Amino acid sequence: MNELIDPRKAFGEAVIEAAQKNPDVVVLSADSSSGSGLTNFPKLFPERHFEFGIMEQGVIGFASGLATTGKIPVFAAIAPFVTARPFEMFKNDLGYMNQNVKVVGRCAGLTYDQLGSTHHSIDDVALIRTIPGVMILSPGDPVTIKKSVHAMISHVGPCYLKIGNPKMPVLYPENIDFQLGKGIVMQEGKDVALIGTGTVLSKAVGAAMLLEQKGISVRLIDMHTLKPIDKELILKAAREIGKIVTVEEHFIAGGMGSIVSEICSQEFPAKIKMIGIGDFYASNGPYEQLLGKYGLQPDQICETIIRFLNTE
Amino acid sequence: MDSNEILKLEFTALNIRRNILRLIKAGGSGHVGGALSSVEILTALYFNLLNIDPGNPKWPQRDRFVLSAGHKCLVLYSALAERGFFDKSVLDTYGALDSHIPGHPNMHKLPGVESNTGALGHGLSIAGGMALGFKLDKSPARVFVLMGDGELAEGSSWEAAAAASMHKLDNLIVFVDRNRLQISGPTIEVMSYEPLDERWRSFGWSVRTINGHDMNSIITNVMQAPFEKGKPSIIIADTIKSKGLSFAEGKLSYHYWKATPEEMKQADLDLEVIENQLKEKYSKEHQS
Repeated sequence: MNELIDPRKAFGEAVIEAAQKNPDVVVLSADSSSGSGLTNFPKLFPERHFEFGIMEQGVIGFASGLATTGKIPVFAAIAPFVTARPFEMFKNDLGYMNQNVKVVGRCAGLTYDQLGSTHHSIDDVALIRTIPGVMILSPGDPVTIKKSVHAMISHVGPCYLKIGNPKMPVLYPENIDFQLGKGIVMQEGKDVALIGTGTVLSKAVGAAMLLEQKGISVRLIDMHTLKPIDKELILKAAREIGKIVTVEEHFIAGGMGSIVSEICSQEFPAKIKMIGIGDFYASNGPYEQLLGKYGLQPDQICETIIRFLNTE
Repeated sequence: MDSNEILKLEFTALNIRRNILRLIKAGGSGHVGGALSSVEILTALYFNLLNIDPGNPKWPQRDRFVLSAGHKCLVLYSALAERGFFDKSVLDTYGALDSHIPGHPNMHKLPGVESNTGALGHGLSIAGGMALGFKLDKSPARVFVLMGDGELAEGSSWEAAAAASMHKLDNLIVFVDRNRLQISGPTIEVMSYEPLDERWRSFGWSVRTINGHDMNSIITNVMQAPFEKGKPSIIIADTIKSKGLSFAEGKLSYHYWKATPEEMKQADLDLEVIENQLKEKYSKEHQS
């Protein structure tokens, strides 16, 4: 069994490491730093941590203004409250103004399981990807969360990083080659290309193992950067395999599956199955059970893929 | 303040009003009411108060001006052109395809513009972040903001107001252009945030109220800012919408003006009258 690590802990440690290296890194909190794995940040860098209370719209504007003076603001809070709620501030103050701000939506997807649809974030990719120039990162394990933090802080420009909440398995060695905008082929295969992202990448990994046991050869891809997405890797799968399945803890509308479909439909049509959440408000309950309700557990993904492959 | 200097600034304000008419002549229409009501404020800022260098518009130590009420961009473009940030011929492109001077300002298109405003209730947060950055760097630079009084109904303005006070941003100086009119009618009837002074004071700001067309008062008050150490300062500037145009002053319908040829002729004549008054004032002062 792989080691399980709290994604927020991995995130917070990486921000502190980045702040130690780069004096321009500052953290903004909407009463949200402690819940984002950043409890130690104000202790280590009291001058570089700014508390605002619960005002996400205001914080995005302040972050933009700070960035105009050369700072690299990191703002982490509950995912829907840094994306859907202050969407216009994100669009205008960060996107349109092209400011070097790093917005982090934690407890994304359904990971605020019991708290219901106000606290789920299954539309964040759909929303933020409409903003030109904003990079979207959706790493799927603690190692790539850390690498994402360092990479986005080195990258100049607005970024949105989404992470979950429950402990997640380590999928990669520390020395994994992580590059922004480049998907990782976790396993080669020829029958189907399975693309996973973020919180349910590990579920896609589990599904790939089950499929291999059934003699189905899976090309497994970790799409940790959703914008700009690794178009070449998608088109390569379309050309070489022709059958693509996407798995994400997000609405089917507007998420990674949509991005993959848009690319293939325009450039190299392939048979595509999108696994995600339909056009309804997700329910509440224990996280693993919620994923099961929406077909996002490995055995369910495996079955969906087998059905998909059998419907020629 | 020296009366000669004030008179000089009043002539500059006249030129800025002429630039605004030039923009309308190019584009045919625009948000003229709030632009004309804030001419004296922008004249005082760009020709006396702001520590800026038009030849080096990105100079890191410069003071910043954030036009939170982005629809008043005609006065910003006119002031920047007058101050020499770009050639005045740019004003003749208002309304044209790919113009550098859109109907709300874009910092990537024009030197001297500090933020992309237009959606109301954004500017104060952005300016607050700038002021916080300067505090962190121990920079002497200051941040100035112009808000509209109608804009104050945006709740995000008050998020920023609370945060600026909490973070003791006494390098932040805000003007509210209180011309008392917005699209649907008088601001106190549409959504009143009066009494403005008490509201801002209760948010932890140091407040003054002035005549927003009195150049001397604008400059003298800003020179005394911060009004209280450790607090952000706000100047509630009482103004007249469409100030300077006889047929439009204080009239709701000129919030956005689609100029007829007759009106434009009258507007030119109105500014000539102002010019003559200023010339008369000049000769009197130089006789005495």
